Amino acid sequence: MLAAAGFHVPNLDYHALAPEIVVAATLAVVLVADLFLDDDNKWLLSNVSGWGLLVALFFTIELGARGHTASMVGGAYVVDDFALVLKGLFLVVGYIVLLMSANYVEEGDYYEGEFYFLILCSLLGMVVMSSARDLITIFVALETLSLPAYMLAGWRKRDLRSNEASLKYYLLGVLASAVMLYGMSLVFGFSGSTLLVDIGKATQGTITHAPLVTVGIFFIAVGFAFKVSAVPFHFWAPDTYEGAPTPVTAFLSVASKTGGFVALLQIIYIGFIGRSDVWGPMFWALAALTMTVGNLIALRQTNIVRLLAYSSIAQAGYILVPFAVAGSNTKSIHSAFTASVVYLLIYAAMNLGAFTVVIAVARKTRSGDIASFGGLYEYAPGLTVLMTVFLFSLAGIPPLAGAWAKIFVFRAVLDSGTSSAVALGIVAAVNAVIALFYYASVARVMWMSPVPDGDRTPIRIPATLQAALGLTVLVVVAIGIYPQLFAHLGDVASLVR
Amino acid sequence: MLGFPVLTALIVLPAIGAALVVAIPRTRPEIVKVVALAVSVAVLVLACYGLYEFATGTAGFQFVSRHVWIKQWGISWHLGIDGISLFLVVLTALLFPFALAGSDAHHDVKAYTAWMLVLEAGCLGVFLALDLFLFFVFWEIVLVPMYFLIGGWGYEGRVYAALKFFIYTMTGSALMLVGILALVFIHAGHTGHLTFDLQTLAREQSFSGSTARWLFAAFAVSFAIKVPIFPLHTWLPDAHTEAPTAGSVILAGVLLKLGTYGFLRFGLYLFPKVSHDLAPLLLTLGVVGIIYGAIVAAVQRDLKRLIAYSSVAHLGFIILGTFALTTQGVQGGIIQMVNHGLSTGALFLLVGMIYERRHTREIADLGGLQKVAPVFAGVFMLVMLSSVGLPGLNGFVGEFLVLIGTFISRRWWAVVAATGVILAAVYLLWAYQRVFHGVPEGENLKFPELRWREGAVLAPVLALIVFLGVYPKPVLDRMEPSVRTLVERVDRQAGTHQPSVAQGGHR
Amino acid sequence: MLLNQFLFLAAVLFCIGVYGVLARRNAVLVLASIELMLNAVNINLVAFGAYRHNIAGQVFALFVITIAAAEVGVGLAIVVLIFRNRASIALDDADLMKG
Repeated sequence: MLAAAGFHVPNLDYHALAPEIVVAATLAVVLVADLFLDDDNKWLLSNVSGWGLLVALFFTIELGARGHTASMVGGAYVVDDFALVLKGLFLVVGYIVLLMSANYVEEGDYYEGEFYFLILCSLLGMVVMSSARDLITIFVALETLSLPAYMLAGWRKRDLRSNEASLKYYLLGVLASAVMLYGMSLVFGFSGSTLLVDIGKATQGTITHAPLVTVGIFFIAVGFAFKVSAVPFHFWAPDTYEGAPTPVTAFLSVASKTGGFVALLQIIYIGFIGRSDVWGPMFWALAALTMTVGNLIALRQTNIVRLLAYSSIAQAGYILVPFAVAGSNTKSIHSAFTASVVYLLIYAAMNLGAFTVVIAVARKTRSGDIASFGGLYEYAPGLTVLMTVFLFSLAGIPPLAGAWAKIFVFRAVLDSGTSSAVALGIVAAVNAVIALFYYASVARVMWMSPVPDGDRTPIRIPATLQAALGLTVLVVVAIGIYPQLFAHLGDVASLVR
Repeated sequence: MLGFPVLTALIVLPAIGAALVVAIPRTRPEIVKVVALAVSVAVLVLACYGLYEFATGTAGFQFVSRHVWIKQWGISWHLGIDGISLFLVVLTALLFPFALAGSDAHHDVKAYTAWMLVLEAGCLGVFLALDLFLFFVFWEIVLVPMYFLIGGWGYEGRVYAALKFFIYTMTGSALMLVGILALVFIHAGHTGHLTFDLQTLAREQSFSGSTARWLFAAFAVSFAIKVPIFPLHTWLPDAHTEAPTAGSVILAGVLLKLGTYGFLRFGLYLFPKVSHDLAPLLLTLGVVGIIYGAIVAAVQRDLKRLIAYSSVAHLGFIILGTFALTTQGVQGGIIQMVNHGLSTGALFLLVGMIYERRHTREIADLGGLQKVAPVFAGVFMLVMLSSVGLPGLNGFVGEFLVLIGTFISRRWWAVVAATGVILAAVYLLWAYQRVFHGVPEGENLKFPELRWREGAVLAPVLALIVFLGVYPKPVLDRMEPSVRTLVERVDRQAGTHQPSVAQGGHR
Repeated sequence: MLLNQFLFLAAVLFCIGVYGVLARRNAVLVLASIELMLNAVNINLVAFGAYRHNIAGQVFALFVITIAAAEVGVGLAIVVLIFRNRASIALDDADLMKG
């Protein structure tokens, strides 16, 4: 009967799908094993999840090393360099988040099995997102990564703040999806296809019914602006970040945000590359607003997690800058695309590192106030140095990785060379200085303020957190000193023709 | 010349020293100082070796070492030294052991010493780098230890001062980074190859007039904050006053020179035409700085703040000499950098000693110290007179050359600046009079005399102050070819010629 | 074909949904308003699919319906959680964190 309906079984390349299959299998194992394990053995689940991610990562690297590419289901699902680099990023980020949360979840008396299951689900969505080149696939991947995240944000069930974090994140996330879907439906109606490549062909050059496409692009961009917490669609982010458990916050601010950007990169650079006149100015305004507002509000924060929340909003602004300047010529499309991807990779390392330090310090101080970091240097010099490295990297001081992220963005701006691009470059430079105020003020408190309660007992850092810190600082310093490491990642801009 | 990479060693050695210091256990603070002194003296010996091996009479870069660092961005570990940077390197290498030996941290010696050594590596890196990216990296590295030194070991208002210092200089750095990137990418757009190499960029001048002007502005603002030039100087008095003694010595002696050196190496060298066009503006700011610094210094009640403002005036002279764009002016500017490092560094150390003894820096609380501590007073007098610019001491040579150099090309600026020399004599001598003359009372009666150890630290600096004042020829000979080449390059690009007097002086 | 009428209906539904999200203070009604927006999307997709003779529109609509169900499941769970902890589902009460 299926054959009669003209249905062909799609030709799947299971080798290319290995990372997805491994993650899916792991999450099934975790879900089932959780039913049979008693409470004393729940720690096994985090080990199983971790190994699952490492195996998936192995396949990703193996595919990348062999240069294995595949295009499936008529081009709706593509495995190429870009997809593999981002899959690798998501898997590593997932692994670090597991390291960060192992003790947190164990000691906090949370529901362990479900926690790991949901993290893996969300990661599966992200891994799928890296390869999604079709509106339906993108939508499904986006929901797969978002739905578990809504629940994770409310993981401290009896904490009102955590409830509130979950509710705000959920409502605005769903609203964003609805807006984005409306945009997608208009674009589908215009182009008659859900494949990004076909949409790209249909929207190229001069077109009839241009307003339909414009409105469609606008709605899609607004939907993703919510996801990546760009100003003026950012107001859920600080509350959610503050209320959610800190490892989840780290996960949301890095992985979930990167997921949004990956979708945006694919939609804009494949689907709407011919309509830069529409999205160019839009992203210009979004980027300028996001950087400026994020940084200015971050200045007056007294809670470290909220400060990092606003800092991550501002960082999203820098990632949006290349979008705004991409449209002017072919060279700038290339360098803008690379700049966004490179920024995402570096941002993940430094932001995760900063959150890991926050978790480590909170184990002792049980507080999120910046003041509670006072005199940290006196009893935890190692953590202080690491936090300083992460903060200065976020601020973009060489020779740390963050400086390269900003340099790539400036190169995109200068490659574009239009006066509006240069203006945005100046806004970005001014913002880099504003950002320094609050990053340096946290460093100041750690190094120079007295210990608030006079308690100088050293902090015991569990091995998992040490591993997370070691990994992140290694990336930040190694890439800072030797950015050619990126050359080994293949041509991430393979997606742009 | 030997194959030994002297310049790389100059930067790496203090960095290794810092790592060593960090590795020493907290329970053995006494070893820390020994290690730090040993490392910084070793750096000094290396620098002197460089001075000895330096080929006098050549203009180009010597001891060049070059290794590719990041290939696809055209960035390399490119170090070199010429007549302009030679003496600044030696000065830096001299002042660090001087500051380390001359004052002690009051707590957490280990971290303090480690930061000092990192600072030394950064400063030497700035003076030696011939690659714009490398230069920027060292420029930024310098900020971080200085921030922590001021904020961690300074006086009452230290945290505010540290943040102010940091924000000011970072603002400049951000602009400079944009300038560097714009310069490099515009160059790449014209020539097709991406490079951060200073010499290549200078040789293939690939930007039009107005672009060059913007690029120069981006660099100039950053340098001007560091120098500091008049309207951007407000961080300096705070930072100087609140910094620990060794911090002030290094800040005045070395860090301020990063800015003036930047003007010579990256302003004049990369943008000769624009430097010539904008010289009147910078000369004016320099003169304003001289007069303003002197007047404000005269009304200070805090001795350390007074010396801080005197720095603003002295640095004004250096800017004046640099933008006179004559061989004498630039030479005078460089030698004035060295002089200012020596005399102001020594002054800050002496004020630090007064503070340790009396726990005050208020001029009004001091008086009659000459009666109880004549040797101390004598040393202070000598250093102060060098700062005033008394003939026979080093300060005179620099100021004289600057004024001659400026008079040749820009007469009226030189005339106004000359009044600054008189003002300097007024405020410094007046301060000396109030602190050392008169009848000692109360606490001042018990003011201890200069100790042998302190004398031993100060002696080499005093010797240099006299030596450079009496016989500056060896120094001038070594810097002359590089300076002449630089000035001629500016003249050629700007299409002007030096007045015949300036040429006649040396041919 | 009657494309414009469908599009107009969808637009009106979408606007009503947006208004509901912005104006309603009851969490359940906000959820219902979001459902309206999603249904507007479905009408669009099916109408365009039929107009273009492309089955992808209806497939897309099916995905939207399925995922919307999952979304509402999660949403109601969160609302129930909040109701248990504070015995209210008014959104104005959820204001512990600001700034």
